Amino acid sequence: MSMVYINIFLAFIMSLMGLLMYRSHLMSSLLCLEGMMLSLFIMMAVAILNNHLTLASMTPIILLVFAACEAALGLSLLVMVSNTYGTDYVQNLNLLQC
Amino acid sequence: FTPLMLTAMFILLLPIIMSNTQLYKNSLYPHYVKTTISYAFIISMIPTMMFISSGQEAVISNWHWLSIQTLKLSLSFKMDYFSTIFIPVALFVTWSIMEFSMWYMHSDPYINRFFKYLLMFLITMMILVTANNLFQLFIGWEGVGIMSFLLIGWWYGRADANTAALQAILYNRIGDVGFIMAMAWFLTNSNAWDFQQIFITQHENLNIPLLGLLLAATGKSAQFGLHPWLPSAMEGPTPVSALLHSSTMVVAGVFLLIRFYPLMEQNKTMQTLTLCLGAITTLFTAICALTQNDIKKIVAFSTSSQLGLMIVTIGINQPYLAFLHICTHAFFKAMLFMCSGSIIHSLNDEQDIRKMGGLYKPMPFTTTSLIIGSLALTGMPFLTGFYSKDLIIETANTSYTNAWALLITLIATSLTAAYSTRIMFFVLLGQPRFNTLNLINENNTHLINSIKRLLIGSIFAGYLISYNIPPTTIPQMTMPYYLKLTALAVTIAGFILALELNLAAKNLKFMYPSSLFKFSNLLGYFPIVMHRLPSKMSLTMSQKSASMLLDMIWLENVFPKSISLFQMKMSTTVSNQKGLVKLYFLSFMITLALSLILLNSHE
Repeated sequence: MSMVYINIFLAFIMSLMGLLMYRSHLMSSLLCLEGMMLSLFIMMAVAILNNHLTLASMTPIILLVFAACEAALGLSLLVMVSNTYGTDYVQNLNLLQC
Repeated sequence: FTPLMLTAMFILLLPIIMSNTQLYKNSLYPHYVKTTISYAFIISMIPTMMFISSGQEAVISNWHWLSIQTLKLSLSFKMDYFSTIFIPVALFVTWSIMEFSMWYMHSDPYINRFFKYLLMFLITMMILVTANNLFQLFIGWEGVGIMSFLLIGWWYGRADANTAALQAILYNRIGDVGFIMAMAWFLTNSNAWDFQQIFITQHENLNIPLLGLLLAATGKSAQFGLHPWLPSAMEGPTPVSALLHSSTMVVAGVFLLIRFYPLMEQNKTMQTLTLCLGAITTLFTAICALTQNDIKKIVAFSTSSQLGLMIVTIGINQPYLAFLHICTHAFFKAMLFMCSGSIIHSLNDEQDIRKMGGLYKPMPFTTTSLIIGSLALTGMPFLTGFYSKDLIIETANTSYTNAWALLITLIATSLTAAYSTRIMFFVLLGQPRFNTLNLINENNTHLINSIKRLLIGSIFAGYLISYNIPPTTIPQMTMPYYLKLTALAVTIAGFILALELNLAAKNLKFMYPSSLFKFSNLLGYFPIVMHRLPSKMSLTMSQKSASMLLDMIWLENVFPKSISLFQMKMSTTVSNQKGLVKLYFLSFMITLALSLILLNSHE
């Protein structure tokens, strides 16, 4: 593969690492989720434009829409947790009560 | 003829107009009002005599008031059989009542205003009686309603009086709805509010306006269903009760139905309805009167019962007899109220008959008039009540009518005798049960004169009126002897039964009231139920349907809240995880890395 793809793929792997390994704040994993979405978007747009796959030109926009929805969901979950505990420390999530 | 009548009515207006002048502040104002009414009475006797001798009726229609598109309204007075005879009777009774209230309301600081209100009431009653079109009648109708409100709530500091006045207005209003419905029907179907035009044109189905008029009479004359305001109206001073709620205002409803007798003659349905309504009223109120303890309330229920009898008379298609009963009833009922007023005042405002007794010796004149009034009420032969009441019962017995209603009326007649005996027994006989320091004095000339006038009226007026009026409907002359004696027999039975029961139970211990007693004493539970239940139910239902049904249930609860509740319950039921999120993520990552490394060996 060309260098561009490897670069963007590396950025994706970094965000994935950040999503799976974090210390205490739930917010940081949400941010890394956004980073993943961003890198996927860039990769998709570059690949389509380079290979002139005009039929698939709308897929990045659709990806963005779904990313927005899931960001909203993630934030609302964060707000719910924060409502109960005051912070978003991940240690608090051992009691499964809303 | 006609100028005299108008003069008589104009004289009545004078004291009201003068009320803004110096004369009003004078302490002689009541005396002035009383003499005005006596002059008006004497003047109005002249057209009455002319009417009796010649039988000529008149309609005075002088001032064209307004024309609403095709309806022409003018100020027209109808001097026919009914109004010409009613006006002197009403003026006579009012004259006596004014004189009585000069004694009764002597210590009241607003006595001038009281007389002004009574005079305004009289004027509106005259307007009602002499109206030739429905609009003028409506003016008089509303006028008597308003004056009744002002006079019942005369002692406005008392919460009960205010409640009673409001109750009177509300019940009258419900009747007014019927009146307006009849007016609207007449306006749309015959384009006239004049009686002459209504009676001449032939209508095909008169049920709706007659129903409206019956509803109006139910409201104004306190028939069953709209009756609780009449006993509550006894919160007003006794002259008010004597004038309004015995002789004049409550007969306005009956008068309305009498005015429309050409329309009611053909309609059998309406006659049956009025008959049954009157029968129910007279029996129910007579039952309620049996166990009341307040002397004014007993007389009020007696009024209500007699009103039911009048409605029954209309129901058997005898409007002239009903009118005769109105005129004769005015005399003895006003006198009964005045006697009770004299008793109440002498006993220092004691109205409970359980606390009166033995007034036979200290108040001979009042005793006499009370006994004669009660006898006239029950229809003792050859007193006043006989000429109307006995005729009514005879006609009802011999007419082709509803047998149940007839039976009810007979039972109510015997109950009339029963509660009259009860009044007389408790008030007059036996040993005194009141405080011993009361000064019982009936020596005032105003009191004696007024009651004396009504006493002579109660004895002779029946005879005089019956033999001097123009002949109208022919009473039934021949009937079996047992039918003719029915009224007398049931009355005597009622008297004897009540007397025996009262004497037997005089010294016994007061036992706990049976349910029948409670039914009778609490007015058949009617006011208690009907004042609270329908209003609370309709308010609750409207609140529930307006706010709860649409907004809160559908929009708020069904979709959003139920979904969230469901999800929460499900998630807590199904999941059994602990919250060790970091470990989960770490294991995920290690698995991913390991798989990528291990599966890279394809190269």
